Amino acid sequence: MITSVIVFIVVAALLCAAAVITVFGVTQVAMSDSAAIAHDGLHRGLAAPTWSLPDSSGRIVRSPPSKPFQLIVFTDHSLESFPSVIDGLKVLAREATDLEIIVLLRGENATAVAALGLLGLGDLPVVAGKPSLYGRYNVRVSPFVIFIDSAGRVRASSLVNYEWQIMKLWRLANIPLLPDPPSALRCFPRRRLAPKAA
Amino acid sequence: MLVLCAKAAFAVILIIAGGAKLADLAGFAEVLRLFIGTRWPAPAYTCIATGTAFAEVLLGCASLSFPAAKWVNLLALIAGCAFVIVSVTGLALHRGRSCNCFGALSRIKFDVQGVFRSVIFAVFAVLAMIGVGPSAVRLGVTTQALLLAAGAMLISVSFAAAKALAALPEDIRRVRSR
Repeated sequence: MITSVIVFIVVAALLCAAAVITVFGVTQVAMSDSAAIAHDGLHRGLAAPTWSLPDSSGRIVRSPPSKPFQLIVFTDHSLESFPSVIDGLKVLAREATDLEIIVLLRGENATAVAALGLLGLGDLPVVAGKPSLYGRYNVRVSPFVIFIDSAGRVRASSLVNYEWQIMKLWRLANIPLLPDPPSALRCFPRRRLAPKAA
Repeated sequence: MLVLCAKAAFAVILIIAGGAKLADLAGFAEVLRLFIGTRWPAPAYTCIATGTAFAEVLLGCASLSFPAAKWVNLLALIAGCAFVIVSVTGLALHRGRSCNCFGALSRIKFDVQGVFRSVIFAVFAVLAMIGVGPSAVRLGVTTQALLLAAGAMLISVSFAAAKALAALPEDIRRVRSR
């Protein structure tokens, strides 16, 4: 009897552990798929997280911004592998006067601050965020950019590899948001029956 | 040994299925809608979906932590038979449609493999019913509490995973199921 009890407990524990590993494995495979990553970020029109944090020079940076638009660049020192993105950021910093560009790191990273300076992006405020803040923006991979307007609404959001992608997102961000659509029905659509002929 | 494995496996399957269904009640309610001929208001389907998911979770936890209770084994057997009936009916009437048996964790469809799978689950339940004497697996309170905790952990894991996967767009989930 005792043997049966021990066998049951061991088997149950092993099966529970196997089930947890399997569920995590399935989720990990699905979530790390490139198609799934392409849907990271926040949809246009959604409310972006609000925060205020000091940048590397101690100045407080706020989101949403006081300027009409804010570009949050989610990256770190690995940005040096994307020279085209760096070029795009430089062009926007030079030409878009109504845009505030900030670099949001996943955490304290002195190497990233130094590397960004060497890449010619030293003028941009660099803010040390937290993994949880990245999570609120639904960002897992970098370089990722999100354009936000002064009302705190997301205007454009995407993973970027090239300058043209940043420019295209900037053009998209300049398109005004449509008014909120009527709330979707929360019930199953009813089938409309044709009236019977008399 | 085999009987005890079957008993524990069926309990774990019930917990994961129930936890995953709880994360995507709307999807499971749509499947229920396929099986109910008359048209009811949408909240009715959601209520049935919620009840079914909770019943699975509770039955799984009870089966895991009270293996000696005969009524639990009987309920598990009824659940196993229900799985077979649903999968056979689904195969006959809604072949190829997603059964949402494990919520967003899998895209199992009503097909022949699904029937075989549910028959295996039912066999597990039969073995649990007839193969183990109540005195063979009488657990202490501490062990029951630990197994109950393991069941609760399984519920939260499957719920969280299914919730995360349910948030993915449908086309990605479809690709994953291929």
